Amino acid sequence: MNIIVCIKQIIDPEIPTEQFKLDPTTQRQIRGGLSLVISVYDQNALEVALQLREKQGGKITALCLGDSGATGAVKSALGMGVDNGVLVSDPALLALDSFGVAHVLAMAIRKIGVPDLILTGCVSGDTGNKVVGPLIAEELSLPCVTFVTRVEVKDGKAVMRRIVEDGYELVEGPLPAVVSILSDDSNVPRYSKLKDIMVAAKKQVPIWKAADLDLDGAKVGAGAARLELRDVSIPRRESRCEMLDGDTPEGRAEKLALRLRELKLI
Amino acid sequence: MDFELTDAQRMFQETARQFADKEIVPIAEKVDQLGQFPRETIQKLGELGFMGVAVPEAYGGAGADTVSYVVALEEISRACASHGVIMSVNNSLYCGPLVKFGTEEQKRRFLTPVAGGKSAGCFCLSEPGAGSDAANQQTTARREGDSYVLNGTKNFITNGAEADCAIVFATVNRALKHKGICALVVERGTPGFAVARVEKKLGIRGSSCAQIAMDNCRVPAANLLGQEGEGWKIALATLDGGRIGIAAQAVGIARAALEASLSYSKQRVQFGRPVVANQAIQFMLADMAMEIDAARLLTFNAALLKDQGLRHTKESCMAKLYASEVAMRAGIKGVQVFGGYGYMMDYPAQRFMRDAKVTEIYEGTSEVQRLVIAHDLLS
Repeated sequence: MNIIVCIKQIIDPEIPTEQFKLDPTTQRQIRGGLSLVISVYDQNALEVALQLREKQGGKITALCLGDSGATGAVKSALGMGVDNGVLVSDPALLALDSFGVAHVLAMAIRKIGVPDLILTGCVSGDTGNKVVGPLIAEELSLPCVTFVTRVEVKDGKAVMRRIVEDGYELVEGPLPAVVSILSDDSNVPRYSKLKDIMVAAKKQVPIWKAADLDLDGAKVGAGAARLELRDVSIPRRESRCEMLDGDTPEGRAEKLALRLRELKLI
Repeated sequence: MDFELTDAQRMFQETARQFADKEIVPIAEKVDQLGQFPRETIQKLGELGFMGVAVPEAYGGAGADTVSYVVALEEISRACASHGVIMSVNNSLYCGPLVKFGTEEQKRRFLTPVAGGKSAGCFCLSEPGAGSDAANQQTTARREGDSYVLNGTKNFITNGAEADCAIVFATVNRALKHKGICALVVERGTPGFAVARVEKKLGIRGSSCAQIAMDNCRVPAANLLGQEGEGWKIALATLDGGRIGIAAQAVGIARAALEASLSYSKQRVQFGRPVVANQAIQFMLADMAMEIDAARLLTFNAALLKDQGLRHTKESCMAKLYASEVAMRAGIKGVQVFGGYGYMMDYPAQRFMRDAKVTEIYEGTSEVQRLVIAHDLLS
């Protein structure tokens, strides 16, 4: 079965917080010189794809919309073992909202050829948005299941474990479909084997511009944005220490539990 | 002159960094305090290809270049210098000579399993009476029919307690001095080959440092690397590569000291402000950062020359010498930045200082490195 995994390159969430800065005029993240990685849940999606290929065969393509440096993310995905990679990169496509992003990715998927399965991370690792997967499905008129940790394919259908508030549900659905992936013990992203990296490094990553895709100007052109970013800021982190007293460990533990409940943390 | 890493080198670095952060950093303190060989993480590193980075793919390695090896080794060593030296010895001192001097059969038997991470190797040159004076080999190899019989003791052998295979240096004729030295591959379990003791060390406590005793240890003549009398040439060529590995390890240790010092000095408040606000601390950090960059560049220089097949003896000595002294200075400064907490075993600064010291000693002391560099200048 053929799979396309949509990936995004983000600033490494593990960098020291003081290194993360926003441009005050554009309100965009300043990336220069910082470590960049594939968005966390997209890595889980790549792992799900690799496991499915091990069972079912087929080919996996990593598809990325980003700036020219995002070739690195596609190469990293190739290093994990995916077969092919494509980068869509164009200055005109850098500041799109989720609707615009989903449209571009959907058109790129059409150009590659709609596969049996399209995977995305369930949450964007930097913005926290969760809608690109469902919007891609909407663009391609495909079913969509979100917050899935495990995917199996049986008799041409996908059987997915979907996480809900108090547990999980098993969802069966037809293929092709769009599935957004949540992390789980079963989909911890594998480390790249060094010999796979050597193979990946030699692969060419085609870079598609806006003109290479049959984009709808009403969805990605000037004024197409449906979401307006009014403000973005870095939260101020403060630390405060509250001491709880008590004569015994049990007494202090009880006070701690009650205080945590008061703070709605448990 | 392009100082950018290639895609492959960058990805090697990224993978090594991810692995180091997730798998090695959480256990590094315990490995040091218990003096425990980190079997599980070393096995995982082997499965990913880190134990035979520059070994050709045909023999189970990753088929990468020396620069890729150096960037990966720096990341691993930053997390834990013990993991770094285990990886360095496997790659440079064991796989290195087999790639360069082994026959097809020897590569298939002794190189492929180690490069592929299924077993580990070690390099047995040092003896109680042959440290810097490495050519003063007392271990003998007596030819008998289609075997060599080995007798002697090897000292301070890294990976000695865990290795499945050893490259052992011995002399067929002491009168020939260095021209009598041979290199042979000896497998664990060969009768007469035993680990006599494992040393307790000041640092890199997760790697074993063993004394190996050979008592009428019979080894097939087919295990001879190169020709009789070529052992010294093999040892020197191997150490040229090994020094590049140790330079990378030292850069990693120095970087660990800098990163920990930077982080701590931003948090520690004295006189109402973080100690990093004081120029005295800033100057220490600036010196550390500058020296680490310089050490890394020397290491890359030696690695690039090796990759181009050019002579790199002087450059690998310079890299190892400078990087090891930088690591020591960084380790000491790190303890100083941490102040009283730098002296406490619960904090990491002391480990970097202890780990750094050996880099000035093994694979050629700083004094020997200076001799080799001077010799090159004067010849």
